[in-house]
Amino acid sequence: MVFTTQIFVFYFLPLFLLVYYSLPFHRRNVWITLGSYIFYGWWEPWFACLMLFTTVLDFVWGKVITRPGATRVQRKFAVLACVVTNLSFLGFFKYYMFAAETLNEMLAVVGAHQFRVLQVVLPIGISFYTFHSLTYIIDLYRGHATPAKSFSMFSAFVALFPDLVAGPIIRYKTLAAQLHEREHTVSRFASGVAIFIVGFAKKILLANPCGLVADAVFNAANPCALDAWVGALAYAFQIYFDFCGYSDMAVGLGRMLGFEFLKNFDAPYRSESITDLWRRWHISLSSVLRDYLYIALGGNRKGEGRTYFNLIVVMLLGGLWHGAKWNFVLWGAFHGLLLAAERWRGKRSFYDALPRPGRIALTFLLMLFSWVLFRADNLTAATEYFRAMLGLDAVGSVAPLLGAMIYTPYHLLILALCAVLLFQPLQAHDWAQSGVTWVRTALVVPLFVLSLTAMFSQAFNPFLYFQF
Amino acid sequence: MHRLRNPQWILILIFLGIIASVPLIQIVIESRQDDGVRVFEVFSQAPTAANLRAYERGLETANWAAGLSRPWIHFAQFEWLEDGGEKAMFGQAGWYFYKPGLNYMLARHQSAKAPGDTNDPIAAIVDFRDQLAARGIHLLVMPVPNKESIYPDRLTLRATPLSGVMAPRTREVLDMLRAANVEVIDLFNEYGEARRQTRSTPEDSLYLAQDTHWSPAGVDLAAKAVARRLEELGWAQPGQVDYSGRSAHVQRLGDILRMMQVPMIERRMDPETVPCVQMVRSDNGELYKDAPTAEILVLGDSFMRIYQQDEPTAAGFIAHLAKELKQPLISLVNDGGGSTLVRQELRARPAFLKNRKVVLWEFVERDIGLGLEGWRLVPLPQGFGG
Repeated sequence: MVFTTQIFVFYFLPLFLLVYYSLPFHRRNVWITLGSYIFYGWWEPWFACLMLFTTVLDFVWGKVITRPGATRVQRKFAVLACVVTNLSFLGFFKYYMFAAETLNEMLAVVGAHQFRVLQVVLPIGISFYTFHSLTYIIDLYRGHATPAKSFSMFSAFVALFPDLVAGPIIRYKTLAAQLHEREHTVSRFASGVAIFIVGFAKKILLANPCGLVADAVFNAANPCALDAWVGALAYAFQIYFDFCGYSDMAVGLGRMLGFEFLKNFDAPYRSESITDLWRRWHISLSSVLRDYLYIALGGNRKGEGRTYFNLIVVMLLGGLWHGAKWNFVLWGAFHGLLLAAERWRGKRSFYDALPRPGRIALTFLLMLFSWVLFRADNLTAATEYFRAMLGLDAVGSVAPLLGAMIYTPYHLLILALCAVLLFQPLQAHDWAQSGVTWVRTALVVPLFVLSLTAMFSQAFNPFLYFQF
Repeated sequence: MHRLRNPQWILILIFLGIIASVPLIQIVIESRQDDGVRVFEVFSQAPTAANLRAYERGLETANWAAGLSRPWIHFAQFEWLEDGGEKAMFGQAGWYFYKPGLNYMLARHQSAKAPGDTNDPIAAIVDFRDQLAARGIHLLVMPVPNKESIYPDRLTLRATPLSGVMAPRTREVLDMLRAANVEVIDLFNEYGEARRQTRSTPEDSLYLAQDTHWSPAGVDLAAKAVARRLEELGWAQPGQVDYSGRSAHVQRLGDILRMMQVPMIERRMDPETVPCVQMVRSDNGELYKDAPTAEILVLGDSFMRIYQQDEPTAAGFIAHLAKELKQPLISLVNDGGGSTLVRQELRARPAFLKNRKVVLWEFVERDIGLGLEGWRLVPLPQGFGG
């Protein structure tokens, strides 16, 4: 189920809340699990079976790791087995086809016989719930968390529908106490409603129209340089409002259920360097990669050279986590190299001497280039797009028609609005979270009605991060 | 009552009121109808992904709130922001364009499909040509250009006036058809020349301003080009039936506007006055009619229907071609199905091939990429032919 669909807003959510608040507290986690499985299985019922299987497995491994009297070797074996099992599922569903097709391409180069590639369907959100489970197991092993008291509590943590399919990635230790005991207050519920509406509006009113512009340009043959830049800009806006909107909705829904999730975005396009950017973009992923991968690799404790190497490896794997394509690997490498370069300069960018607007503009420009890698269908398409941005290719004969598609008053208005909202200091999430007043109520209610009516009229309503 | 003085309570109540009232009202509305309450249908079918998608689509389509608000938001976007939604594009000076057609035009170049692919226009056309040839029937193919191919300058000021454009995929398909010795009528060239030579008055326009289809002027030019080509090839000789033209103006609200399905837009827009020419038999004064004994079979889509079966009737391409060739024709038309459906219909009605010498197959350019059912190979039944 997707948050911005009628089935979720008008059927699932009211029914879920009605049952949730009708139950005594000790039954609510069970209902969260049941409801979340319905939410998740709505795409494809067998996805839910797969999630249940890995959840049971991880719960059992957790018990093995924390079993009284377990030796260090036993605990190490258990955590390794669990990590390998989870990553094997993720690897098979997400990376098998990529690996097999790459191997086939290599075999074709040497003229060897190619093998048949199975068509594997990627279960939505598998990257997210695998990370949820892994943080639990690794935290247990490190002694940073205590084991879940019951299976219902653990399954509620893994399946919790607000953050299930596109994050934020919430660690067990963050949520454990809340699963055990949380406060359901009017002010928390109301602020959850406000944040949900803000996220909903970001997605429907801003991300979707930007997506139409981005898709038109990225799918076009030989666009002119101006159109290519506008397309990249539209994609930068789309991916931010899409993902940030989804995270806001997740945070808002969490609050409606009494949970406190951390903010996942902090005005990332106002970053002054790439290092700064990764403190503000998809914060939950950055911190998981830092705590569970970068530090595990040795972090910055093994000398300068190893630190740069670790940064690049972490970003390469972070790129690959987003998708099984060479584009994502390159995207990760690009960010890894920039992070390593800034680390070499003492966490300062190469353009550190510029005034703040210049630093923000250059960071955004670097991000814009990296989004082309992220959005293009493959490396060839990305290369063609870069060439179009730099005006290196002849413009196609039909390219002038693209202008009619993208420079409409509607799209220009939305792009301008996005630019203003992105680069001004007040963040909608903070605004909505800082208490519900009459003024805020008077603003968010019409915003919700407008977003709903826009949702009714939109045929284009993808969630970009579902594919990751 | 004190809760109503608290903005937090008010926000919660309004939010829950909105999300709960929409389905509740829907249930009340549907329970008063005979078809049953749609939301409960989920319990009566197996929970497969396909069933769940269909169920969800059903709920979305039936939603009273969506039905009520959708036209208004489309109207507001159309009126204030010049946004035509999924179907329509605003052009210059009251011209509108079909957005899926433009998407086809702009699409990144894709190589022709592998042989045997069910969506390969070249394979489907060559196979059809060969099947007809085995029955002694010639095939003449007529892709009709998208409106924006001929009038790019009416879509955007960035396009050069009077210079048509051709989508990369269209160019590739036309080149491959020629290489495969398929006879193709090049309306791109015909229309391009005509635009350069004529003044740009509404009467001269080869396409309607609000519609995806050609104008009577475009019809006439295409009919002349086909007749000329058939005679050059020696596939048709002038017949004995004289037709004369009779002026008939019709009022037509363009299909691009109608496809938006917004009554307010349909009321707000003035229909176009289209100066048609009906074809009348000179010997008995009857309007043009297809003849079962005709030598030429015309297959096509809505471009064959407009003015011919639609009002004023007998003023479409088929009647104009009949006038040029001085003989009645026979036709099989499938709206939107120029790529495959019309050939499937021919397979189901093989008598349409009996005693024919020529098949003229028309489809619109965008169907190269967007044809309904793609480009399937359609085996024709044995035993029918010219």
